[in-house]
Amino acid sequence: MKDYNLLWLMPLLPFLGSIVCGALHFATLSARKKNPEVGAGPGALAAPVAILAMVGSFVVAVTAFFKLKGLDAAGRAMGVESSPWHWIDMGPFSVDLSMVVDPLSAIMILVITGIGTLIHIYSSGYIKGDPGFAKFFAYLNLFVAMMLMLVLSSNLVGLFVGWEGVGLCSYLLIGFWYDKGWPAEAGQKAFVVNRIGDACFLIGAFLLIRLFGTLDASDIAAGVAGILENGEQMKDLGLAALLMFGGACGKSAQFPLMVWLPDAMAGPTPVSALIHAATMVTAGVYLIARMNPVYAACPDVLFFIGCVGALTAFIGATSAIRQTDIKKVLAYSTVSQLGYMFLGLSTGVWAAAVFHLVTHAFFKGLLFLGSGSVIHGMHHEQDMYKMGGLRKHMPKTFLTFMVGAAALAGLPLLSGYFSKDEILFLAFGHGGGYIVLWAVGLISAAMTAYYTWRMVALTFFGEERFDVDKVHPHESPTSMTMPLMVLAVLAALGGLLNLPHVLPGYGVMKHWLEPVTDLGTRVFEATGFVESHAGATTEWLLLALGAGVALLFSHLGFRRYLNGPEPDMADARRAPGLTGFLGNAWRLDGIFEIFILIPVRLLSEFISAIVDKLCIDGAVNGVASMAKLIGDDTRKMTTGSVKSYAVWMGVGAAALSLLLIWI
Amino acid sequence: MASPLFYALSAIAILCALGVVIARNPMQSVLNLLGSFVALAAIYLLSGFQFLAAAQILVYAGAIMVLFIFVVMLLNLTDREEGQPILMGLFNGRVIGSLAVFAGLAVSGLISTTGNFAAVDASAHGGDLDNMESLAGVLFSKYMLPFEAASLLLLATLVGVMLLAKRERSGSQDGGQA
Amino acid sequence: MNVPTEHLLILAAVLFSLGALGFLLRRNLIVILASVELMLNAANLTFLAGARAHSSVGPLNLDGPIFALFVILVAACEAALGLALVIAFYRQKQSVDIEAAAELRG
Repeated sequence: MKDYNLLWLMPLLPFLGSIVCGALHFATLSARKKNPEVGAGPGALAAPVAILAMVGSFVVAVTAFFKLKGLDAAGRAMGVESSPWHWIDMGPFSVDLSMVVDPLSAIMILVITGIGTLIHIYSSGYIKGDPGFAKFFAYLNLFVAMMLMLVLSSNLVGLFVGWEGVGLCSYLLIGFWYDKGWPAEAGQKAFVVNRIGDACFLIGAFLLIRLFGTLDASDIAAGVAGILENGEQMKDLGLAALLMFGGACGKSAQFPLMVWLPDAMAGPTPVSALIHAATMVTAGVYLIARMNPVYAACPDVLFFIGCVGALTAFIGATSAIRQTDIKKVLAYSTVSQLGYMFLGLSTGVWAAAVFHLVTHAFFKGLLFLGSGSVIHGMHHEQDMYKMGGLRKHMPKTFLTFMVGAAALAGLPLLSGYFSKDEILFLAFGHGGGYIVLWAVGLISAAMTAYYTWRMVALTFFGEERFDVDKVHPHESPTSMTMPLMVLAVLAALGGLLNLPHVLPGYGVMKHWLEPVTDLGTRVFEATGFVESHAGATTEWLLLALGAGVALLFSHLGFRRYLNGPEPDMADARRAPGLTGFLGNAWRLDGIFEIFILIPVRLLSEFISAIVDKLCIDGAVNGVASMAKLIGDDTRKMTTGSVKSYAVWMGVGAAALSLLLIWI
Repeated sequence: MASPLFYALSAIAILCALGVVIARNPMQSVLNLLGSFVALAAIYLLSGFQFLAAAQILVYAGAIMVLFIFVVMLLNLTDREEGQPILMGLFNGRVIGSLAVFAGLAVSGLISTTGNFAAVDASAHGGDLDNMESLAGVLFSKYMLPFEAASLLLLATLVGVMLLAKRERSGSQDGGQA
Repeated sequence: MNVPTEHLLILAAVLFSLGALGFLLRRNLIVILASVELMLNAANLTFLAGARAHSSVGPLNLDGPIFALFVILVAACEAALGLALVIAFYRQKQSVDIEAAAELRG
């Protein structure tokens, strides 16, 4: 369906909201200059404006979804599209940008605008009283606009605009409390690490232009078959796919570029929920799902993606076990869950990854918001060792958090159980090297259950380890608990979206996504790649195994930490090396320090001392002193006598004339 | 036939120009200049450039000359300027050097062009080499832009001269006295 | 008038040299300006000599006269501005001697 121009409204509304909120922020600043006691001032209007923009965007998303639902399979494959904007036109290469809602982007926009709206409402309670109230909503709205741009763009150029836009907003929001110092550094770290990925993305995009002559996603999908038949350019295609995955690694925090995500927790908690759990970090998954025909043509790259995903899942899960900061646990957990998504992508069943993306957005968004509620109630205390027993003080947060934790741990029948086991089942069923990935995934799942319930036990159970006289934990306002409850329902029931093959009413999302994923599936038929060999019996067995592992390790984690963090101290005494290693996330930061930062710093010192000071400064100063030397002698020519100037002018004119005559 | 007239006029022009250079009194200088202009105008006329001869008389001998004379009179200059005899200045090395360059230029230019010219046919185009109608046609088509630019130049000059000549009223800082 | 073009050019060269001489030798600003006018006239003469030479063997050449016309115009502007400057200079220095202006000595 063409020319559905309402779609442009979707990114435009939050964008306008962002501009209005920005203006409100400046209005607040000038009001505060006149009267420092003014408080929120005109900035208080920012929350309604931003939420309204989000609701509007959500409504458009829903209408677009139903428009798409009303179409037949062929129509869905085309998607609901706005009229194109001739953006770049330079001869053989042109870029027409339009907004497209196909089954894949439909899911993404519903998640982004839906969860985005909830988090906006939550933020209006969480960030209340902050001097940058309006600024926060300006950034948040801008982020949503960029994220929508990313998923709705019909081609990779528009996607890249959104890609960089969300990166910028992420930087701004991580460093939102920049006056504290370390959030600003964390923002820089995120930005710089992402730059590596973005450079890969760009080079991959250039390669794709060379291969296909276009960056339009549907044209690329159509062109893959031709390249497969030809066979000559397969190497280039594989390289492009690998580079694109490099970009995804940066944005979606995969090994080895995941080091920025735990630090990104320096930002306000709603930001962590929206950007660093639900939406932005899944952009890499979306990118690969969007480019699925390209990846389908390169099974080796797919397997590599699976290896990276499984390794990341394992590193994330093991690191989360030793964290004491509640948000850090969730951050490493996010890294780990993103690893699962890439493992899902690598099996060639794109829908499985998208399914986990959606359920993860539900339960991880819920957990982050819940932790935000805890932090809010504890007066910005994030250390779980100083919590405990909070279930009595904040019952709503406690209950919803429990639902999220159960989903994350993969307890049976909750959303995370179905989506994670689907991925593990596919990895197992694929056989070959994937069996190893499945084993790593299963171990990680066990640890996920363990660290999740450790977190719950430390936070909500046991005795109160904070100073009862000074800290009075309190339940958060309704604006914060309401989104928690909505998300809790979604996290609990999200599994219904895509039930396993063996259950009745299975695979709703898988069927919904077929118009998009069929592109890749057709390529698989050409390459002879089989997604899964396993049958129903295996699936039942694996479902049971997953449930058993989740229950067992949940129980272990919960029991062990029910009475406080002493087991951690005991572990540290028993194996100081290992616990330190895990607590510092495999010392990746240290490895980066030794192998990248120190060489870069040495190189910089060298360049600063030799190239800059000696060569460049030398050249500049040399030119200056040359000018001085020449000037010292030649200034005598400036006699001040007009006649001598005239003589020189005459001599010059004569010389020129001679040149003209004799040459 | 008309050649003797040309050479006579040339002699007048050159003598007058010499007068401009060596006259002690500025007024004499300026009047010599006038003679040179008139002689040149006559040469233009002889060469077939009637319109330019008229323009030469009107603009140079008329307007510009009046301006010069006016300024000389206004400043009431006498011959109190240069102390040393003017021709003594010729022995200044700098001047001799530059004159040598100019002379070399003139000689080399002539050498390089001698014989390259076709014989001059004085009767070509009825002896009217700047027919006003054709001149106007070219001026308002091919040279439209320079023409417009020239009008701007005149305007700018007008404004500039007014600004320069205006006496500073009061509170001047650059030393000009009221 | 069958004067060869060379003779016109020689006349122009002589006038130009005399103008240049005056410009370099004299110190009176008014005479210097007069010398400049002399040089401009010499340039005009070369333009017209060229136009005459071209017109005598081909179609009417109007570029030369047009240029001469523009030179006259520019000369008028130059004279007006130059004399205004002389007056301003005189007001400042009580003199029209160019050697009085040497503020830019390096």
